[in-house]
Amino acid sequence: MSTNPQHMHFCQPHSRPTRTRREFIRDAFCGFGGLAFASMLHAEENRYAKNPLAVRIPHFTPKAKSVIFLFMSGGPSQMETFDPKPLLNELHGQKKPEIFGEAKYQFVQEDAKLLGTKRTFQRYGKSGIEVSDLFPHTATCVDDLAIIRSCTGDSVVHSAAMYELFTGRVTPGAPSMGSWMTYGLGSESDSLPSYVVMTDPKGALPAGQPMYTQGFLPANYQPTMFRPGENPVMNLDLPEGVSLDDRKQTLEFINELNASSLLETDHEFSARINSYDLAFKMQTEAPEVLDISGEPQETLDLYGIGKKETEDYGRRCLMARKLVENGVRFVTVVSGGGTGNLMWDAHDDIEENHLRMAMHTDQPVAALIKDLKRRGLLYDTLVLWGGEFGRSPEAQKGVGRDHHNLGFTMWMAGGGIKGGQVVGATDEIGLRAVEKPYHFRDVHNTILHQLGLDQHKLTYPHLGRDERLTFLEGKLIEEII
Amino acid sequence: MMTNCHRLIIHIHVTVLLCLGSYGLIPVSGQSPQTKEYFWAFNPPVQPEIPEIANKNLARSPIDQFIFSQLKQNQLLPSAEATKAEFIRRATYDLHGLPPSPKAVQTFLNDNSPMAYENLIDSLLASPHYGEKWGQLWLDVIRFAESEGFEYDRHLPGAWRFRDYVIRSFNEDKPFDLFITEQIAGDELENPTDDQRIAAGFHRLGSVRRNAGNPEIALSRNEVLTERTDIIGTAILGITMGCARCHEHKLDPFSQEDYYALQAFMAATQEYNHFMAPQEVIDEWNAKTNVLKEKIADLKEKKETATEAEKPRIKSEMDELNSQMPNQLPTILSIKNDPEARTKVHILERGVWDFKGDPVKMRPPEILNHIKPVEFEADLKHPRTALAEWLTRPNNPLTARVLVNRIWLNHFGNGLVNTPNDFGFNGERPSHPKLLDYLALRLVQGGWQQKPLHREIMLSHTYRQSSRTPASVQAQTIDPDNRLLWKFNRRRLQAEEIRDSLLAVSGRLNKEMYGESIMLPVEDELVQLLYNPDQWQVPDDPKELDRRSVYLIAKRNLRLPFMETFDQPALQNSCGRRESSTHAPQALELLNGDIANDLADSFAKRLRFEEQETVNDQVDRAWALTTGRKPKANEMELAMKFLEDQPLREFALAMFNLNDFLYVH
Repeated sequence: MSTNPQHMHFCQPHSRPTRTRREFIRDAFCGFGGLAFASMLHAEENRYAKNPLAVRIPHFTPKAKSVIFLFMSGGPSQMETFDPKPLLNELHGQKKPEIFGEAKYQFVQEDAKLLGTKRTFQRYGKSGIEVSDLFPHTATCVDDLAIIRSCTGDSVVHSAAMYELFTGRVTPGAPSMGSWMTYGLGSESDSLPSYVVMTDPKGALPAGQPMYTQGFLPANYQPTMFRPGENPVMNLDLPEGVSLDDRKQTLEFINELNASSLLETDHEFSARINSYDLAFKMQTEAPEVLDISGEPQETLDLYGIGKKETEDYGRRCLMARKLVENGVRFVTVVSGGGTGNLMWDAHDDIEENHLRMAMHTDQPVAALIKDLKRRGLLYDTLVLWGGEFGRSPEAQKGVGRDHHNLGFTMWMAGGGIKGGQVVGATDEIGLRAVEKPYHFRDVHNTILHQLGLDQHKLTYPHLGRDERLTFLEGKLIEEII
Repeated sequence: MMTNCHRLIIHIHVTVLLCLGSYGLIPVSGQSPQTKEYFWAFNPPVQPEIPEIANKNLARSPIDQFIFSQLKQNQLLPSAEATKAEFIRRATYDLHGLPPSPKAVQTFLNDNSPMAYENLIDSLLASPHYGEKWGQLWLDVIRFAESEGFEYDRHLPGAWRFRDYVIRSFNEDKPFDLFITEQIAGDELENPTDDQRIAAGFHRLGSVRRNAGNPEIALSRNEVLTERTDIIGTAILGITMGCARCHEHKLDPFSQEDYYALQAFMAATQEYNHFMAPQEVIDEWNAKTNVLKEKIADLKEKKETATEAEKPRIKSEMDELNSQMPNQLPTILSIKNDPEARTKVHILERGVWDFKGDPVKMRPPEILNHIKPVEFEADLKHPRTALAEWLTRPNNPLTARVLVNRIWLNHFGNGLVNTPNDFGFNGERPSHPKLLDYLALRLVQGGWQQKPLHREIMLSHTYRQSSRTPASVQAQTIDPDNRLLWKFNRRRLQAEEIRDSLLAVSGRLNKEMYGESIMLPVEDELVQLLYNPDQWQVPDDPKELDRRSVYLIAKRNLRLPFMETFDQPALQNSCGRRESSTHAPQALELLNGDIANDLADSFAKRLRFEEQETVNDQVDRAWALTTGRKPKANEMELAMKFLEDQPLREFALAMFNLNDFLYVH
């Protein structure tokens, strides 16, 4: 899975037995596999062209193989997290000085007053980067984080901003980054989906299902939405009253019938038989990967599993680790769901909202970084943390903050990203990125780059254009790569 | 997708490139006489000479002469005919999206009259299932959905009437020029009928971003106008006008002025929900609603400043008032011109709404003006009628070509132009340019009716060819993707066809047509992903759940996993050509999914009920229903062996997974 020896070592207990794909096919279905084997071989020779999920060679040497996106939906505040603004506290209760310029908000009116923060900041790690007391756990990983304080997006409205963060456009219909990366690199796993989304069980996000999906790409690149609970993947469990053995016979019967008229040159039908093999493999092998009950207590504790506040996000972060460990390409772990205040959408009370949201996520996020690191997985797993925008320096309803897209913080870690540094800066009240502003498209391009993908080469023809993730060309965040 | 066709048309390409220098040098102004004269798609179709061919005995129509002559030029031969059983299954799926009944198959096989094929096609075209299938394909093209998408995904009132209008129009074989005119300008027609008002709902079907808080009226208006302009370019003209919104079109000769001049036809167009009730009923409804709305608004204001203790009481009062709201009156989703609210259309620099350039007047894109361009004044009373008139002129070089190409594509799997939504420079060149012109002119000369065109295509030898012909060395080398049609293209059933066929073969299909859209039961997790989960209302009557898929709600933020998995379009953009992917979740859906398992039970019951004599008969019947043929000897043997110790419902489920069920040959 990696050229890093440390990584190999830690991977061992979880990597699959040494049976190759071909051996598997031959052995599958009580020898039936042999029947289809000849055609499979042929299919495999053509797999680069014919199997859309076959592993594809990147455009240049990659530094990362997988991405985990810790999506803080609703928009966490830069001023309360990673971007201390002493002047904002000094100006608390005053109108924003004109020198800082205009900003357009969704709700806040022109007469709004600046809102200082109650959070305190402290320096951590060798890098001495300041992190607020919302994130005591994450702070201990700060030397692995590249904190970008100068992120920008184009929209100040949830749905449009989420579309832009996930797909590069403010309108729905384009493929999400997870789909693009699966399209570009294929799937490393035979038994797991290559692109997984784990939503927050508390409910929906404003941009809904379309932000995660494959847009105009073929359905091979669709996300698999994990459900909360014991059986996260739809249709993996057998219908009631059907045993695995019975179903195996049915599957053999189907494959025998479909193979009986198969021509060797028929790539599409070979691929179909192949898809049934993979389906069966997913059914039998995926539940093992998806089951976290076998994890040592120490690991469960690390993620805060077993504690009410961190149980849910902890489980999903641990699952994310298990997924990338088993070759999943892109995992999104959403924090926040349901209306307004159940996301990081702190219109009413920044204190109440952010303390609560941080309590749910801080420990699991830090655990994920540490766990990936000690298993050698952080080496080629890129972790991205952030929301669809930040929050306004001005108060809304006295103690809340409105949406804000002109300057906010995201961070990346692993996958060749140089941690322990801060990039870019907002002005003294956290209103606007004034130093090295980086747009979502720059974040996208940087992730693509770490995966060995060239933003100009990863294209798909649609409605007369060769579309790409970075609709307008993205810059590289050179400082962190 | 483009590469193989490129190989075929490389000589055309080269010619074009020679004319233009290179892509980088393609003039962008639309003024260039070069592009106007040389680019094929912007010149009106010319009546082609029908090529003479040697193997006349096979040819059944001029279509064959075009196809055969190009095959011959490439030293390829047409294939022999498909079997009659294959043909009836192919034709029935192509026109109805459903499998032929075993009885229909038998009747056709027994019909040895010289008119057997003609009679079959005529009767298929006369069935109302035709409109259900081809209506859906048009709905794909115009990105039909019944909700607005984005955060709130509000349901569009009465949008299902538009779907019914489309189905009816196809079944009536409404001339396409009228069909387009009604959709572009139905509300402007004299004393518009309900159907014409419904048709004009075309302009309402795109995604609409609504947001709470500070309104951005000009930005939102610009988004709406953009959406409405782009879809006309893509769906009707088959050109990507959208590119010219932000800059002079890099690949096609459209200027930004062309784009905004087209947008100007919609400048006065505003949303309008037309109530289908007598005026006094509407007045009464409005009065009652307004009183309640005011009360609710007052309470809402009160709630803002209320104490926590008071809030629950206020909320229950609000709920009570909401429950008193009169039911929505039957509504037509439509539009109307509001000259008072007419948007002043300017060129927008980089497409940004507040970077206003010069104002523009409405006129069609210049490149397409083969008749002297006409500019209209902003206060033209019926602007969209003028647009529709221009779109449907017989000498408009694109409208008819784009439509006949869509018809061709949906019969053969490939278009004559394989980028059905892009006839511009970046799109593919036609594989058979003369045939395309022949068909386009047939359409116009035949009064824009589509059924005769289906008939002519489906009775050609080209359409009757077998899909099973192995590729000769020559075919493998020259045309591995079969763009020259040396055989027929096998295709996988589309998402809706799979579900409808499962219902049909298991005897559960509810063939009732029209009416409000149905929401199927789905996993609660998906419903909870909606901004307002209450929007998802499953009907009480279980029979409603067995309606054809075209009657299921097209909701942007909740698509059925079954449909998504089998490549149903995403309902956001125009889809002129469906993907057909193959991947493991499809197998899981048909093996373990609720839909497949529920219907496998019914299918097994049906087999048991209809064939009580022997297991053999049940197997025969199952094959007849799902594949339209008898099982082969080895298939029968495998089935009998399987049924020795496996239940009939597992056998039924296996049938749903057969290639010969899921594919049309």
